[in-house]
Amino acid sequence: MLEVEGVHAGYGNMPVLRDVSFSVAPGEIILIAGENGAGKSTLLRTIAGFITPDRGCVRFDGRDIAAMTPEAISRSGLRLVLDGHRVFPEMSVYDNLRLGAAAHRISAAEFRRSVDNIFSVFSILAEKRASYARDLSGGQQQMLALAQAFVAQPKVLLCDEPSLGLAQALLPPILAFLKKWAETGTAIVIVEQHIDIALSVADRAIIMERGATRLTGSPDELKQALKMKDAEPVTSGNG
Amino acid sequence: MDELAIILVRGLSTGAIFSLIAMSFNVVYSSSGVLNFAQGNMLVLGGLAAHLLLDSTSVGSWFAMLPVAAIAIGAVMTVQGYVTLLPMRFQQHSESWLISTMAVSVIIGATMLLLQGPIAREVPSVFPSFRVFGTRTPAPYALAAGLAVVWYVALRWFLRRTLTGLAISALSQDIDAARTAGLPVRRLQLLAFTISGLIIGSAGFVAAPVLTITGESGVKYVLNGFIASVVGGMGSNTGALFGGALLGVLTMMTTYHVGGEFQNLLALLLLVGVLMIRPEGIFGRSSARRV
Amino acid sequence: MAAVTDSGTAERPARLNSDALQMIVGILVIALTTFIPELAGNPYWSHTFQLVNLFIAVSILQNILLVDAGQASFGQGAIFGMAAYMVGIAFGTHEIGYAAAFLCGVLAALCGGLLFALPSLRVQGFHLGFVTLSAAIVFPEILVALNDWTNGINGISLSFSWLKEPGTLGVSPLSLMIAATGAAALILQVGLRRTVLGRRMVVAALSPEAAQSLGISPGLMRAVAFLIVAAGTGVAGALYPAVVGFVSPSAFKFDLSILFFFAIIVGGRGQPMGPIVGVWLLYLLPNILLAEFVHYRLLAYGFVTLLVVLMFPDGIVGWLEKLRVNRQRSRRDGPILHLDQLFSGREAANKEPGERSAIEVRQGYKAFGKVVALDRVDLTVREGEIHGLIGANGSGKTSLLNVLTGLSRINGGTVLVNGTDISGLPAHRISALGLGRTFQKPRIFPSLSIWGNVQIGLDGRGGDHTQPSALSIDTLRDELEGRSADWLPHGQRRLVEVMRVVLKEANILLLDEPAAGLSPDERREFANLLRNVSRRLGKTVVLVEHDLDLVWDVADRITVLDAGRVIATGTPTEVARNPAAQPLFVGSKHA
Repeated sequence: MLEVEGVHAGYGNMPVLRDVSFSVAPGEIILIAGENGAGKSTLLRTIAGFITPDRGCVRFDGRDIAAMTPEAISRSGLRLVLDGHRVFPEMSVYDNLRLGAAAHRISAAEFRRSVDNIFSVFSILAEKRASYARDLSGGQQQMLALAQAFVAQPKVLLCDEPSLGLAQALLPPILAFLKKWAETGTAIVIVEQHIDIALSVADRAIIMERGATRLTGSPDELKQALKMKDAEPVTSGNG
Repeated sequence: MDELAIILVRGLSTGAIFSLIAMSFNVVYSSSGVLNFAQGNMLVLGGLAAHLLLDSTSVGSWFAMLPVAAIAIGAVMTVQGYVTLLPMRFQQHSESWLISTMAVSVIIGATMLLLQGPIAREVPSVFPSFRVFGTRTPAPYALAAGLAVVWYVALRWFLRRTLTGLAISALSQDIDAARTAGLPVRRLQLLAFTISGLIIGSAGFVAAPVLTITGESGVKYVLNGFIASVVGGMGSNTGALFGGALLGVLTMMTTYHVGGEFQNLLALLLLVGVLMIRPEGIFGRSSARRV
Repeated sequence: MAAVTDSGTAERPARLNSDALQMIVGILVIALTTFIPELAGNPYWSHTFQLVNLFIAVSILQNILLVDAGQASFGQGAIFGMAAYMVGIAFGTHEIGYAAAFLCGVLAALCGGLLFALPSLRVQGFHLGFVTLSAAIVFPEILVALNDWTNGINGISLSFSWLKEPGTLGVSPLSLMIAATGAAALILQVGLRRTVLGRRMVVAALSPEAAQSLGISPGLMRAVAFLIVAAGTGVAGALYPAVVGFVSPSAFKFDLSILFFFAIIVGGRGQPMGPIVGVWLLYLLPNILLAEFVHYRLLAYGFVTLLVVLMFPDGIVGWLEKLRVNRQRSRRDGPILHLDQLFSGREAANKEPGERSAIEVRQGYKAFGKVVALDRVDLTVREGEIHGLIGANGSGKTSLLNVLTGLSRINGGTVLVNGTDISGLPAHRISALGLGRTFQKPRIFPSLSIWGNVQIGLDGRGGDHTQPSALSIDTLRDELEGRSADWLPHGQRRLVEVMRVVLKEANILLLDEPAAGLSPDERREFANLLRNVSRRLGKTVVLVEHDLDLVWDVADRITVLDAGRVIATGTPTEVARNPAAQPLFVGSKHA
């Protein structure tokens, strides 16, 4: 569905990604983890078209999308949800949802079904459908941001740090929602710091370090690898 | 008391023209960050359209020609929008709009000067003047005030109720989020130019009898519109309404108590004062944009 | 010291820019066009070129203001007019001597410059542009309104026949003065870029934060730039009545300001030859080609400007310059900076951290609205140590750094830098206490050479004018002078910033995520640099960094922040064992 091959990218003169490759299949959830500044968000923003890669290619549905604008990529069915629960603050929850589908060929009936679906999962959004998005809590805004992507029915969802700035307790319901979403055949890439919680829903995980992929594997393999490395900072400090 | 009434009535109605300019500024500014320096010339072009289109003083033709003028200026501004947005695709020169809109302003002014010379075109008022608080008030002032309210309400409805309007609002609220949602950014920005043209074209048409329709007067209107917009808060239409009114009344007070030739100086002092004390304007949100 | 500030002695075959060449050509063009028509006895061309060259001088000065000082003033025509009118009033109406009137004119222009500088302290960018442009629109109206002094729309006629008499070489004093003004403006522009003041203006214009961290007050730089430019514009303005023979409000309409601004854009921002090409294209050419169709001139200059914006976004001279630079760039590789450049000739002293504290934060509290960024933070950094500051995104590291440098203020608690309480001190004064910082995104100034980028650190040293101990500055200068900083790869930019701060002789270095974007090799080299800076130069280093390997590798002590609080502090081993710090390793290091 989505293939990233040998991508190098960065901001202006500052290289961030070095030779990153991975792919996602329909219905699969991939977790991308790594320390701050490892290039996770840059990777998602590069795939979504905000940054043009210096080298390498990004293929979506067999098509190279590296040169397309973010708008066009989104319309073709690859949807990025930015970090920091960004929604349109000065409009209602319902209008935010309408805009989510505005640029896509979604029939009125489909839209209504998606919205009903969302409202049954996140009932708080149904309650607050007429409130300004700015009046929602951070967690509710994150739900809304995901809901806005959901109504667009993308084939690939990129989700950047859904837990950023939220209480940790809010993460499980959001991940459960993503899990159910993936079961409908959507490929999902999640960037997340709370790796232990996020690993439970992931089919595969990638650990990034300094702009490159360091480890790739199943959640179990990764848990093994992490346990072995637990004491590393101390040893390297002494060495 | 009489004098106060005159100042208020005239001030508020002159201010309505400034508000209209400011509102037409806002549509473009909030969608693309461009401040169209040629907006004053567009107002004058609206007035010129009235001069060219109105050959009789019949009320019927006035109503028929109003949308024609608005659409004509809307079309002109769409073209201008296309030219302005063209180089902005290359990010390094994102301030190219400053120069291109100034250049368009110079071109329009110079063309008018060529075609009609320095003499102002006259547009007779179709409607008779009337009395407010015992002050004889030319009808175009009242019409401009009415038009300002109509556009304010129409914009509010459009930007908050219609899907397209919401999409334009979305650009000003979070451009990156708008792009991830797949909204066609360039087309919406172009549409904002068109809408801005409709506002300013209709304003020029309606206020034509009280406008100075020359190639040179555009800059003074754009200056006043900009001041109204900054005083009210860049991007806020409510602010535009208040900013225009405040500036209009101040302008009239200056005319009565100091002298008409100091109008623009006082307006400039108001601008500097507001920028020094409250740069975001009365209704502006301070740095609402996210990083 | 003189040898250090006065750069540009050794010209290299591949030049950083063509400033010097452009300056010489420009001076020649101005001088020839002023003198030849006069020597040929052609009054029409003589008059036209006198005017053209005055406009060029004003435009060159505005170029300095716009590019080197970063101030968008679109109202320079008003400043020009103030000087001209003051001469008109003083010399024409009150008949005081021309020299005195000239002086009055320049003073009037200075007042105008001061008026423009005032809003620049508060607003920047197009807001400032609009304010100054508004002033240009209002200016002729005021001239009309004050008709008791200005004689209203009729203007003031003046006679300057004696200034126009041919002198010794057949050249009139007026022509000499005009050519000198134009040449002086060019020399000022190119020369300023080689002085401390010019470099400081560039830094203040492009990055006010970097300026403050180097001890430069951005507001002062803006005001100085406005005044210098206004004085020059005043000289040109004071010569205007002598050229034209009268002053009237219609000569100083806002179109004139637009012409000065457009000339820069059409010619090329920052290019010394830009205004010459611009004024010729926008004013002179239409004047010749459309001599019969005076009204088309305005239209022509609107169209020319629009076309240039669309086709040559860098302006015409700027476009040519870019071609030249690109050709040179393909000819040679980017320079490589080596750390030994910084340490050659230095004894391998091993300076261990002292016991005195370089930075002391006590109960530091900072809130943005309801969000608490720093929650009663205690931090002690000892002299000469490398202190790692770590924590997740949003844990307060950057807030703390901003408080230490004075970019933001704490709401409670005290901060001592080298023993001085910094609360209430502006950022550039705190910098003078011996603090230097680098930024997440390196502040590299592309218009300066690599050496210039390092040199602004040297400029930033307080009253201390001695050679920084044992640093081989001359070698460094020879190596880096005349090389474009624009070509530096990212990793090298980091080193330039560190060199800058070291040369500033700051004894405390605050490094904000310096390893971001560095390759593994560069990281190793960088760790070495940090050890050298600390152990050989004895400097205190505060290292904010996500790369825990690097921090554990070099830091003497580490402080861990979480949600604005200090949750652990101590030696690397202590912190690694501290249970409170464990989530960090799971969250950042391994996750």
